[in-house]
Amino acid sequence: MTALNTLLVGPVARLPARVQTKLLAAFLAIVALLIALGAVGLYVLNGVNQRTEELIRSERKIAAYRQVQHDTTSQLYSISSALVVSDEPTLDSALRQLNQFGYDLERLQFVAKDEIKLLGKVRKEYDRFIAVVTRVVALIRSGHVAAAREAQLKEAQPLASRLERLTNELVNRAEADVVAGIEASGEAYRTSQTIFIAFALGAIALALVLGRTISLSLIGPIREIGARLDEIASGNFTRRVSISNRDELGALATNINRTSEQLRRLYRELETASQHKSAFLANMSHELRTPLNAVLGYAELLVDGVYGELPERPKGVLERIQNNGRHLLALINDVLDLAKIEAGQLTLAVEDYDVPDLVRSVVTATEPLAIAKGLKFTALVEADMPTAHGDARRVSQVLMNLVGNAVKFTDRGEVEVRATATGGHIVLSVRDTGPGIAAADQERIFGEFQQIEAPNTRKRGGTGLGLAISRRMVEMQGGTISVESAPGRGATFRVVLPIRVEPALEEAA
Amino acid sequence: MTKRILVVEDTEDNRQIIRDLLTSVGYELIEAVDGEKGVAMAQAHRPDLILMDIQLPVVDGYEATRQIRAVPELARVPIIAVTSYALSGDEAKARAAGCDGYVAKPFSPRQLLAKVREFLP
Repeated sequence: MTALNTLLVGPVARLPARVQTKLLAAFLAIVALLIALGAVGLYVLNGVNQRTEELIRSERKIAAYRQVQHDTTSQLYSISSALVVSDEPTLDSALRQLNQFGYDLERLQFVAKDEIKLLGKVRKEYDRFIAVVTRVVALIRSGHVAAAREAQLKEAQPLASRLERLTNELVNRAEADVVAGIEASGEAYRTSQTIFIAFALGAIALALVLGRTISLSLIGPIREIGARLDEIASGNFTRRVSISNRDELGALATNINRTSEQLRRLYRELETASQHKSAFLANMSHELRTPLNAVLGYAELLVDGVYGELPERPKGVLERIQNNGRHLLALINDVLDLAKIEAGQLTLAVEDYDVPDLVRSVVTATEPLAIAKGLKFTALVEADMPTAHGDARRVSQVLMNLVGNAVKFTDRGEVEVRATATGGHIVLSVRDTGPGIAAADQERIFGEFQQIEAPNTRKRGGTGLGLAISRRMVEMQGGTISVESAPGRGATFRVVLPIRVEPALEEAA
Repeated sequence: MTKRILVVEDTEDNRQIIRDLLTSVGYELIEAVDGEKGVAMAQAHRPDLILMDIQLPVVDGYEATRQIRAVPELARVPIIAVTSYALSGDEAKARAAGCDGYVAKPFSPRQLLAKVREFLP
């Protein structure tokens, strides 16, 4: 079947005709086969019918011949009776028999057209027989019984014998015909059966091959197109649809290839543009920071009285300049981080690190802020934590961001940092008793510039990029970050990281 | 005796800030604008401490530090690396080159002063 497929499917696919035309042609071919099959059937039936009719005719012929034989015998018998009895009724009966004999011969003529010559002889013998019998009857009537017996013995008997021989010949010939006819009929029936079965099998096979060829020449390309579309949908534009069809499917494949090529070009342009943008942003951020650092440096020197003590009002203004400058610097730093992540320039620096040490350093940096706000601050680190392997600085940055947020948004209550290790993962969680986050906002806060709408958001400060950056940094290391919260019930942020960040993930990042 | 500090830094404003900060608390400042000049200044003036920027023209901070450490008389002088943005591994690289301390930019003058006082009480 495979060889047949390659032999047929390809050429059918390459036929420069519409799918509709191909289908129509296949159906018409099958219909034509059915009609031909029907015609063969009718022809075979007709042959059988004819043969049956011939047999019936032969049977009737035989019956007629036998009738003639029978009548000849009856005739002889009735004449013999007449010779013995010699009364009127017996003579009448003999003459009636004679008429009946004539009627039989009429029928013979009708039945046995093909045996004209033999029949001619029969008829001649019959005429003579009739003449003899008539004469015998006349002799009996006129009382010459001896002469009648003489004629009966010398003429009628031999004639009857000849007639019997002739009719016997006819019967034998007809019977031979019937036997031959039955034999021929059986032979013809077997031949017809073979022809019919062969034709039917051929028709079925051809219909199957046609159907399969047509459907394969359609389904193959559709599968191929489907597979390519799947690849395109998942961002792989490298492969083309290669099918040999020259119908609608061929046109579709050409269109898909064009679309794919166009998409690939656009995608590449977009990627390049995006990388340029990110590189530009990264450079700009760096360029922006240098003068801003100088501004902040000078402001700090001024506030610290390096250039002499300042009066209260200008000092207050300077502090505002410092606060705004620091906020601007934080924004620039975050934008730099994001731009680097997007440009693929942020590489992981993977190393062994101690989780308790990392938590301790974050706690040391953030605890004073919490205490200044009057919050209870606790850090719980599981005993015997395994040494972790990952980008410690990024993990620290993430934890710092989460703890910083918790302290920032919590006005009363506590902030709790917890570190545990389970099933090959480190879990870092930060729980606070702040205002909480509505379910609708919980996914949004991990997006860029997405602080939740709240009347006091402004005074909380922050860039709105911290969680977005944190999520990227966690995901780069094959981890997840999530939040569990309800308004008024505080929030728990949870970071799950593999204890060992795999090199494959580093490269992918 | 007044302690002498060498600042190797290519940005004028950063030099000015460090100069204003450190002279205001009584240190003597000498300055170089690239790594090569920094090595020359260190050899010529024997500072008590060196603040070494890492991204420098001509010779970068790591190389300048290695060259200074190669001079026997300067082998023990404290060198504090100042790097533009705190990349992971920078500190390790700075220490490998021979630095004793490390300050990440953007530094606040207070942080820098605290770091300097660790080495020059």
